[in-house]
Amino acid sequence: MKYILMMAGKRSEFEQYATWSKEDLQANVTFMRAFSKELKDSGVFVSTEGLGWPSEAKLVRAGTDGEPITDGVFPESKEFLAGYWIVDVESPGEAYRIAARASQAPGPGGKPSNMPIEVRPVLSSHADLGI
Amino acid sequence: MKYILLMSGTSAGVEGYHAWSKQDIEAHMAVLQRINKDLSASGEFVATQGLADPREAKLIRGEKNGMPVTDGVFPESKEFLLGYWIVDVANAQRAYAIAGQISAAPGPGGKPTNMPIEVRQFAAHEKPAK
Repeated sequence: MKYILMMAGKRSEFEQYATWSKEDLQANVTFMRAFSKELKDSGVFVSTEGLGWPSEAKLVRAGTDGEPITDGVFPESKEFLAGYWIVDVESPGEAYRIAARASQAPGPGGKPSNMPIEVRPVLSSHADLGI
Repeated sequence: MKYILLMSGTSAGVEGYHAWSKQDIEAHMAVLQRINKDLSASGEFVATQGLADPREAKLIRGEKNGMPVTDGVFPESKEFLLGYWIVDVANAQRAYAIAGQISAAPGPGGKPTNMPIEVRQFAAHEKPAK
């Protein structure tokens, strides 16, 4: 069973992250690299991606003439995806345990960031939606 | 340049989708599949993934002892990721054009859903030393 583990945050949280000290950032990145390696070593790793800053995000809709209409204004409350992991595990419990590990990634001063990780099953085909 | 195109919706939006007729869902999926095929043909396709129903979503935090704390209650306004496409394109305009095509996919009665698609860059990797 494949699950996606997502980290998201408001623009203000991204801005805070940008103010972390070099050492704190380094410790966080080191943790994330070791975490990905652990997932690979245990055979559950499928993929991972980190996303760019929310300031570069655009919202796109189709115009009636087929041209895209681009908007870059989001509400303050908007949660931006920061990154994700996809893992292939035996049970939801295993996915939750992995998410709990990611949630413990060190933040400022080396304290666990304790950030919430959203865990969702992913579809192998659209038929999985059952509609 | 790689971009990720994110399709999101609230629980209410997802429930609305469940009420679509079979023909409307098939017409919608046919367009999305054609977009995937076109992206593969042009060499711009990297990956796509659909997510399961938001009702199965959980929010997890780590306890001090490392055990997961699970929460399944989300605000009504919460936007759930429904699916994404990763494309490798020449420039941002091309990524926006593809997002526009996805947004134009037909909804009930064949009318374009006009769903907003969030287009994001990937995190820049460490800059090479000068």
